[in-house]
Amino acid sequence: MATEKIDVVIVGAGASGTLYASVLAKAGKKVVLLESGPDWQLSDLISSDFWGRRVKPAGIPFLLEGKNPYGYAYQAGWGVGGAALHYFANFPRYMPNDFKVKSEHNRGLDWPISYADIAPYYDKVAAEIGVSGDAKAEEIWRPKGEPYPMPPMKTFRNGDVWKKGCEGVGIRMVPAAVGMNSTEFKGRPPCIYDGWCHVGCPIGALANPQVTYIADAKKAGAEVRALSTVTRVLTNPAGTKVTGVEYYDAKREKQVQEASVVVLAAWSAQNPRLMMISATDRHPKGLANSSGLLGKYMMAHYASGTWALFDDDVENHMGTVGAQYMSYDRYDKASKKDAFGSTFIVAGTALKTSDLGGFANARLDLFGPKLTDFMKRAKRGITRLTAFGEEMPNVENRIELADGKDEFGMPLAKIIHSFDQDAVALWNANFEEGLTIAKATGAKEFWSARGNQPTIHLFGGTIMGTSAGDSITDSYGQTHEISNLWVAGPGLFPTEGASNPTYTIFAVSQRGAEQLVSKWGTIAG
Amino acid sequence: MSEIERRALMKGAALSALVFTASGAKVLLSPRQARAQNIAFKTLTPEQVETLEAVGETLVPGSKQAGISHFVDQQLSVPPGEALLEARILNVRPPYANFYRAALGAVDKASKAHNGDRGFAQLKDDERFAFVDLMRQNKIDGWQGPAGPFVYLILRSDAVDVVYGTMEGYAALGIPYMPHIAPEKRW
Repeated sequence: MATEKIDVVIVGAGASGTLYASVLAKAGKKVVLLESGPDWQLSDLISSDFWGRRVKPAGIPFLLEGKNPYGYAYQAGWGVGGAALHYFANFPRYMPNDFKVKSEHNRGLDWPISYADIAPYYDKVAAEIGVSGDAKAEEIWRPKGEPYPMPPMKTFRNGDVWKKGCEGVGIRMVPAAVGMNSTEFKGRPPCIYDGWCHVGCPIGALANPQVTYIADAKKAGAEVRALSTVTRVLTNPAGTKVTGVEYYDAKREKQVQEASVVVLAAWSAQNPRLMMISATDRHPKGLANSSGLLGKYMMAHYASGTWALFDDDVENHMGTVGAQYMSYDRYDKASKKDAFGSTFIVAGTALKTSDLGGFANARLDLFGPKLTDFMKRAKRGITRLTAFGEEMPNVENRIELADGKDEFGMPLAKIIHSFDQDAVALWNANFEEGLTIAKATGAKEFWSARGNQPTIHLFGGTIMGTSAGDSITDSYGQTHEISNLWVAGPGLFPTEGASNPTYTIFAVSQRGAEQLVSKWGTIAG
Repeated sequence: MSEIERRALMKGAALSALVFTASGAKVLLSPRQARAQNIAFKTLTPEQVETLEAVGETLVPGSKQAGISHFVDQQLSVPPGEALLEARILNVRPPYANFYRAALGAVDKASKAHNGDRGFAQLKDDERFAFVDLMRQNKIDGWQGPAGPFVYLILRSDAVDVVYGTMEGYAALGIPYMPHIAPEKRW
């Protein structure tokens, strides 16, 4: 069944999709957001690690392969808000060196734009949704910009001990920039530091889409259709324009939503899968894929965690799940010998007992009475430092369609992912440095949070570049080959940096959405 | 608005307790209460319950009484989209019952193979610890089923959830829980 043609259909109601919806709806466009999961409300966000798992997908249309299979469900979102409903709201930005890795080091790829192109949008996003931090302090590492609209968040001993440790080994820590309210902001209350950010903040102190872009988009007339799974992007016979999408609605009935523009914002793996599934005679390898690079260059961050245990109370139940302090002092791509890539260090986080990040997992080897003893010792005295590492783009890390079908009869896809030698070496080097820092904190005990090398965040698959020969989209997210098919989100990133990506996702999306509005007359189909 | 007022405003705004069936009626209970009331299992067999409780108690003391089996069994009876299990976020493919059957079956099969045909629940405490320690390290010869370290991770997480992840668990450990929206049944 076909519905009335609209201006824009957006696939996915996460960070980038909701921002697009807000900008486009405010510009007067008729917007529909299709989201495969539920329409979560703030009142659904129960403060509990296991109730919080409901905002993540249950069963995914991907097979996870490679030496380091991607940890999809923990990272992903399911429902309105997407992963930005459970993100930690760390808002560090990318640095100028992230945009020119190929030019500066003959490694990886260049972005077709520079830091200066994105910087105004960081400021714009901060003013729009609220960021707390100390811009001046950060400017020891980056070009000057606007101050953040709110001062830094409170800190607690669980962060202060790491600041001292870092300073002891010559690493500067500054207040972390976070998408949270240190003071009231646009009628949203300040944070109360109870550490439930990761299961969804229901009070509006954390800038999740429910209280920012979705609220704005709805106010401007955008419509959200939850439990609506897009199965195909539709094109005209010539393959020159997209005409809308096919999807299954909440009643599991097949629908067609015609639109002048389609924006794919279903995250880095689902966007290329949809574009592959939507292949036609005119686009036999998938939409906008004459380069053959659709689904290629998938990347993930990895973290080297260090635990420190103190005899006294470090107030580890207090704070946010975002960081209190951050450092770019190891962000130079060549900081570590024989381990190419940036490292971003954060510290100071509220801890809960259970779930993957809970402190029961700080000693995953312990069970039985030894675990009981450990929990008693750790309950007030344990704290964690995290060093995120950068993985270089590798064309072998990819999405490809697989045998097997999802519940709608559409092909599953594989995410094939392996870390290269540099990523493994940097991961190890960051563990070593973490122990050095921990020693300088004066902690009674400290150890590395080693296990399988984790995969965190997800990038690539629809990278931006200069032409249809080297990439899928331009720097705005417009596909090179189909002018009214746009892609949004971290899938556009040709390199991933090492710092948390959502602030950059917002900034790149803001830039893209504004471009779409300003060039509407030449783009809309 | 004060912190306390904000919390009070949000409290109880959503259903957050597990639904069990007792004498044909739907009741909201914590897994501990469900166990105490001897609520019938819907999916797990008596043998699987016995194994799960024995493994759970070996991993996290207190998890048997806290109702690990009722938690898992209730969770296997709800649609995957409503599931609260750690398996969900570790990419186990629904229906999750398939994983639990395979995991508990693998534990018992390996236990019998290495312990004179005794299932895991029939092992003595020291034998249980030795078995789990080997399973954790993927060192059990002839293991058949989901990888031993993954079974360890999932079942340990379930046991941690019911013992330490609840409001009761936080209170017992002496940590402030500080909910914005408190789960019902302190769970």
